[in-house]
Amino acid sequence: MTSPLLRLKDIEKAYGPITALRNISLDLDHGETISLLGPNGAGKSTLLRIVAGLAAPTRGTLEIQGTAHDRRAIGYLGHATLLYPELTARENLIFAARLHGVPKPARRADQLLEEEDLSPVAQRRAGGFSRGMAQRLAIARARVHKPSLLLLDEPFTGLDVPAISRLSQRLIELRNAGQSWLLVTHEVERAAMLADTALIVLRGQVAERLTGGELTPQNLSEIYAKALDLQS
Amino acid sequence: MNIALAILWKDLVTEWRARERVIAMLLFSILTAVIFYFALPDQRPETLRTLTPGLLWTAYLFAAILGLNRSFALELENEALSGLALAPGGRGWIFLGKAAANFILLSLVQALTALAFALFYGVDFSSSALNLAAVIMLATLGICSVGTLLAAMAVRTRLREVLLPILLLPALVPVLSGAVHGTLSVMAGEGIPFSSVQLLIVIDGIYLVISFLGFEYILDE
Repeated sequence: MTSPLLRLKDIEKAYGPITALRNISLDLDHGETISLLGPNGAGKSTLLRIVAGLAAPTRGTLEIQGTAHDRRAIGYLGHATLLYPELTARENLIFAARLHGVPKPARRADQLLEEEDLSPVAQRRAGGFSRGMAQRLAIARARVHKPSLLLLDEPFTGLDVPAISRLSQRLIELRNAGQSWLLVTHEVERAAMLADTALIVLRGQVAERLTGGELTPQNLSEIYAKALDLQS
Repeated sequence: MNIALAILWKDLVTEWRARERVIAMLLFSILTAVIFYFALPDQRPETLRTLTPGLLWTAYLFAAILGLNRSFALELENEALSGLALAPGGRGWIFLGKAAANFILLSLVQALTALAFALFYGVDFSSSALNLAAVIMLATLGICSVGTLLAAMAVRTRLREVLLPILLLPALVPVLSGAVHGTLSVMAGEGIPFSSVQLLIVIDGIYLVISFLGFEYILDE
């Protein structure tokens, strides 16, 4: 039996007296995509940062491909783009590639710029990009080392409608190409559309899990509304 | 090592384009030189020559604190610091890259500040330039080693501008002691005193090792 790509067992995270996450257990297989849905403060971003290796859990274990945490397997896009405004789009990608030890960083940067349709603006500084363009560049940055698992923390925030649909389309393409991800979002419809499994996170715990045929926007919306009612 | 070189390249390119940090550090250290000049009760050449080493290092220290604070504050924009923390391999290499960039930028500011001191205080550094450069480089290595570590620790706190000098200044007492003593001897034409070199090399070594190893833990939340 092969190990799942990601295995979380009884993850708990406390900040002093405040417990942000409680007993989170989760398996994510190769090629699987999971949405984490929940209100502000539910602990979704904290969970993503623990998986990324940016925060340590207070308790519990985390395995990637059956071994201890390996940053090479993770591509992370947080609330911010992680880009340097003074560097050009191409330089940002070359820098990220060098950080991750990617062979031939310039070639990989050019490849990603083409995939994200950013080649025409490759020599422009990232600080002058629109939010949509910066987000596409940020996704390219997260994928620069071909990670097995992408962590996407509310990637649609601040985007206009065309940029949202373009990003959704891009994520679907990546999923069809076998990319695994954990996606944090507030948007029910997108959580249902973009993932194989949706987890509703409330007060640091997984309250509901929907997968397969039961994961429809309508079903998820109803269950999410009920869960929020129960919480309040 | 590639991580350190990538970060060094990135820091120098961004500074070259923004030109924020070096200009602020330079203005601050030159202003310090000017203010001290007018604040001194006795401006006779022999008094100025005696006081120059201490005042020079005070100006260098102020510039260093300003530059070190900015060095990591820039990484907070767009959460770029998380991008660095996600790099695989030891985080000590991140420290080395940042410290090397801080060293180069501070050295540039120090050279230009020394010119300002020569102008205002009427001291002649030319006869002892090489020895002086050696003392300054040794001391700057210590400042940038421990300073880069402490700046990274302070950057995520609410009071980072205040916290860095509070943490850094006590740690720099031995560096400053060796630097001022060495500068004084060099300017008096006595060469570099062995005791200063010894002190600075030992402190540099300790701070480099502690910072390289300690950086592994301070980028985590």
